Amino acid sequence: MIGRSFLNAGLALAIAALVGCGLVTSTNRSVFFIFDVSGTYVKSVPDAAKLANITIAELQPGDWIGASQISACSFSEKEIILQRQLPTTPSLAASAKRELFEAFNTYAGGVKSAKFTDIRGALAQASDELKRRPEAARFIVLFSDMVADYSKSCDTANIKLDLAGIHVIAANVIKSTPGDPEKYFAVLKEWEAQVVAAGGTWSLVSSPDQLPKLVNEL
Amino acid sequence: MEQSLDQATGSPASAADSGSFFGIPYGWPLVLAIVGLILIMWMAREPLRRVVWQIFFITGRVFGRWGLWLTEHGRNARTNCNEKIAAHRADELQDRMLMLEDRMGRRAEKLAKETGPVIARLDKSTHQLATAAGELTDINLEDAAERAFRAALPSMESGRGLNKLEKNIAQSTARAMNERLVPVRPALQIIKAESPRVRELAEKLTKTSNEFNQHVDEVNKTFEEFEMIMRSDDRSKIAARASIVIPWLIAIIITAIALSGVFLNFFLIERPMAEIVGEGARIGGIGLPTFAAIIVIFLEFVAGVVLMDAAGFTRLIPAFHSMSDGSRKIMFWVAFAFLALFSVLEMTLSIVREQIIEQQQETRDLAAQLITPSLAPAPTADAPADAVTETPPAEAAVAAEKGLALSTVAQLILAGIIPWLLAAAALPLETIVRNTVFMLSIVGSFLMLMLAFICKTLAVAFKNVGLFALTIYDAIIFAPLWVERRVKGTARNRRSGGGGDSEDADDVMVLDRKSPTAPPKEPKQNREKNREPELQKA
Repeated sequence: MIGRSFLNAGLALAIAALVGCGLVTSTNRSVFFIFDVSGTYVKSVPDAAKLANITIAELQPGDWIGASQISACSFSEKEIILQRQLPTTPSLAASAKRELFEAFNTYAGGVKSAKFTDIRGALAQASDELKRRPEAARFIVLFSDMVADYSKSCDTANIKLDLAGIHVIAANVIKSTPGDPEKYFAVLKEWEAQVVAAGGTWSLVSSPDQLPKLVNEL
Repeated sequence: MEQSLDQATGSPASAADSGSFFGIPYGWPLVLAIVGLILIMWMAREPLRRVVWQIFFITGRVFGRWGLWLTEHGRNARTNCNEKIAAHRADELQDRMLMLEDRMGRRAEKLAKETGPVIARLDKSTHQLATAAGELTDINLEDAAERAFRAALPSMESGRGLNKLEKNIAQSTARAMNERLVPVRPALQIIKAESPRVRELAEKLTKTSNEFNQHVDEVNKTFEEFEMIMRSDDRSKIAARASIVIPWLIAIIITAIALSGVFLNFFLIERPMAEIVGEGARIGGIGLPTFAAIIVIFLEFVAGVVLMDAAGFTRLIPAFHSMSDGSRKIMFWVAFAFLALFSVLEMTLSIVREQIIEQQQETRDLAAQLITPSLAPAPTADAPADAVTETPPAEAAVAAEKGLALSTVAQLILAGIIPWLLAAAALPLETIVRNTVFMLSIVGSFLMLMLAFICKTLAVAFKNVGLFALTIYDAIIFAPLWVERRVKGTARNRRSGGGGDSEDADDVMVLDRKSPTAPPKEPKQNREKNREPELQKA
């Protein structure tokens, strides 16, 4: 135990010295999950939570995880579900991941529907949180049908988004207009354009195994 | 008529029609231009010659100096390398002689114990044989036979029958012989028993003698080579006798095999190192656990090098040469303890590795179990779905646990062995380091000599190209030079009354002539002394 403490102290000193020289860089990433709880998507939240769990299972020790929901007025601390950094050692990280699974499952089990869908507000909220993080690789994973519906009291349709350095991934995008595929594709194109215009990068994930790969390999 | 005149005079009008040379029309203008150019060249001969001299001769001289310098240093490097190789060979032979001497000393100590009983037994056997031989020589069979015959005579007189007579004689002879042979029988038994023993002892002694002679031969051979190395002036011959490349190649192969063990070791400890140092940072582009694993392997290797040096197998660390035996023993046990600790550390890490893998798999399984069937990832091709249904889950779990336990044991064994194998990799390292230095020295000296050759060739080329350029130049301005000489010759004749000894006494275009104002040639010794600054300038 004492030996380990000495080893850790020595390593910490060495790393501090190397950081000073600019030789040490971080490989950690921060991932922010956004769940759409509007009337058209709330039934898909459990599936989305499970997708989030699969993604978390593949994250590395030291990665940061945040989650919020899209409601009528999403740009608010009240909508944040959880924020947690995984411990840097694999065994502790595995325990933390299991706790996160539980948290997401609990959330998915008791989620309540919202009247409006403030997607831009949620993106702004996630962007704000991620910008405060020191990790170089930042991801927003958006579980939504991508159909925005802003209330009059909280209309963020025209707010300016800053997504520079952030990769936005739209996952589990359900088709809310089965009779009009063109509308579905148009909506996705429009969101891609908005994200790119805000300085971010865009990906659309269709199958469950793509999401962890995208987050870990980008 | 006008046309022919134009042609004869080469007027510009006609020349313009027939073309031009660099804008100068053919004919008289071109001739005049050439004559003018020759005159300009004649006038400018001295500065131009200096320029040519500067360009070609000085450059050539610089290359020549470089060539000399490189030749000298290349030869010196080779000589030094030969000297080092010979010294190393002498060291090796000295070590070998010491080792043989030590071995012979120990053998000699044992020899007294071995040969003492042998000689005692041999002495005893010889004595017994001598006694037996004495007894045998004392037997006089003729006398015994005669005595037997005489003893049989009275009975011959009493009994007249011939058959009876023969019988009596035979019986008496046999009895007499038997009486004589009875005391000899033990001697014969001794001879029978001692002869093979004597042969065996003789063989043993011969073997011991042969072994001793073999060692003596080895020592003599080694000593002769050592003497030759110490006394011979031909160091290159001595160096050529010492093999450098083959031991180096063998050492490289052994080290390569050891390095493959290092890779194996690295993959064993890389993942569990994350439990000690954590993840998420990179040092110079390398992940922190990877970096830590590399450091541990290096430390193991260093401990191995110290162990081998302290044990006297290698001589990589100079400090060990001057250390006392006691200090070396301490260092040996310290290195041994470190290696043992590293071995235990690796064994622990191998267990941790298994735990981490299990935890990660369980976490993944947990995440996948929570997912609905529609979202579950498709099974992979190499894991058929029906395989799970065919095997009962309990049996599969037991089989998996058994396999896991076996693989953990295998990892434990590997983790325990590899640090010691790494230590053994220090053995060929000495050969690699030493022979690489020798080889680099040899290659370096050859490169220097090759560069010297190139420089000298360039020097000669530059000088001769310069000479050729000057010759061409002189050929172009031949006419004005000839006129100049004639004029100067006439003037000199007038001044000296026709007693001029040399026409070209003051001809500046003669290459090898020395200027009358030039300083006298320096003595050779002074030139040698001045060479060094010139080399530095070059």
